[in-house]
Amino acid sequence: MIEARVKKKFEAFQLDANISGEKFICLTGGNGAGKTTLLSIIAGTIAPDEGEIKLNSKIITNFPIEKRNVVLVTPESCIPHLDVETHLIWGAKIKKLEIKKENVERVKSQLKIHFGGKVSSLSLGMRGRVALATALICRPELILVDEAFSHLDDREDFIRSYRELAVEAGIDVIFATQNPEEAEFADYHYNMVGGKAISQEKG
Amino acid sequence: MNSLKVISFFSLALLIIPVLLLLFEGFGPLRNPIGYSTVVGRSIVLSLFSSALAAGICVVLFTPLAYYFARNRNQIGETLADIPAVIPHPIVGVALLVLASPLTPFGRFLESVHLGLFDTIQGLVVALTIVSAPIYVKSIQPFFQSMSKSYENFALGLGASRFKTFVSVVVPNSGRSILSASLISMSRALSEFGSIAIVAYYVLQSPFYGVSPASVLIFQYYSYYGLSAAVSASAVMILVSIALMVALRFVNR
Repeated sequence: MIEARVKKKFEAFQLDANISGEKFICLTGGNGAGKTTLLSIIAGTIAPDEGEIKLNSKIITNFPIEKRNVVLVTPESCIPHLDVETHLIWGAKIKKLEIKKENVERVKSQLKIHFGGKVSSLSLGMRGRVALATALICRPELILVDEAFSHLDDREDFIRSYRELAVEAGIDVIFATQNPEEAEFADYHYNMVGGKAISQEKG
Repeated sequence: MNSLKVISFFSLALLIIPVLLLLFEGFGPLRNPIGYSTVVGRSIVLSLFSSALAAGICVVLFTPLAYYFARNRNQIGETLADIPAVIPHPIVGVALLVLASPLTPFGRFLESVHLGLFDTIQGLVVALTIVSAPIYVKSIQPFFQSMSKSYENFALGLGASRFKTFVSVVVPNSGRSILSASLISMSRALSEFGSIAIVAYYVLQSPFYGVSPASVLIFQYYSYYGLSAAVSASAVMILVSIALMVALRFVNR
């Protein structure tokens, strides 16, 4: 369960967002609506001016990025010099998790990672798959997906599989997209307009 | 031809004409066998060896500092790191001699373990490291500043510590830039005179017993044998420096 109530003032823009939810949460909105800022604040890469972020009833507002147990995945997120296999288990190894080969294989097959090689040599879409899978395998409490689904050719199938794997592992996901249709996969949907998050009816 | 091009070529000519002239004279009209002797050869080897070692130390000790400055702007720290580059270099030499003298506890410690800096290879390398480190930091810092934070933030999010992220994510993806900056700092070290003329006018350690660094040797030749010996030795040294610059171009391609 993630609850974020944060404010951040920039020169030309003010974020004042209040969201809460679990499992699969979708943030929609146009350019400059504040999606990336909100995700960055939750990930810890931007500090809010005021407010509180609560993850599974633990207040993480002032935690450094590496202590939050939150992974932010953007289209640029990856560790370029690693090969695919090493990349997938990199986070899990850092956290000293027990890595079950069959789990990794299952994630790979569900997310259609049927390729290898150095991550830097992959296409944007392939890189996105690897980064999103890496985030899942290291089992954080929350994964933030900032437009990282948008470079995938089989977006709908991918989001469906990703949701299934995340829910099964008990990982909440917030994904930001400019495509309102993708909200159909979500359990919670917020539309962002001018820095405010407006809860949308699911149904 | 536009005037900008004319000005640019003129200023470039100002830079290279003295060097080209020295090459021409050193291997031509002013050639002097003293300039091509094994003494010059050994001296250039000492300079290359100590400069490469200083560049290596810069990589190990100052890459983290440059990265830190790139990610946490620190005006005071950055100004302090520039000091060895902006003070006259003989001052660095004098400062090192004071530091390593029995006047300081550090100097007494160095003496007790026979690691004095005066006329030693370690003294030479320490002086070269100090004068070339600011250049190294200045060369690599803009690269880190321009490097996307996405890689680091992703690694941190996966639970890696700041140090682990630096060592396992930032450094492996900066190889070429680190090599390029180390070659720049090595060429800076190779051209150093002021500090090493004081700390290590010659080295009194094997395998370089009695050998002076190349820049110091050229100064000695000029003082003892006159212009022609200095010109010939300089021409040889210029060739070595050009080779280093070509290597740098190759790395930066």
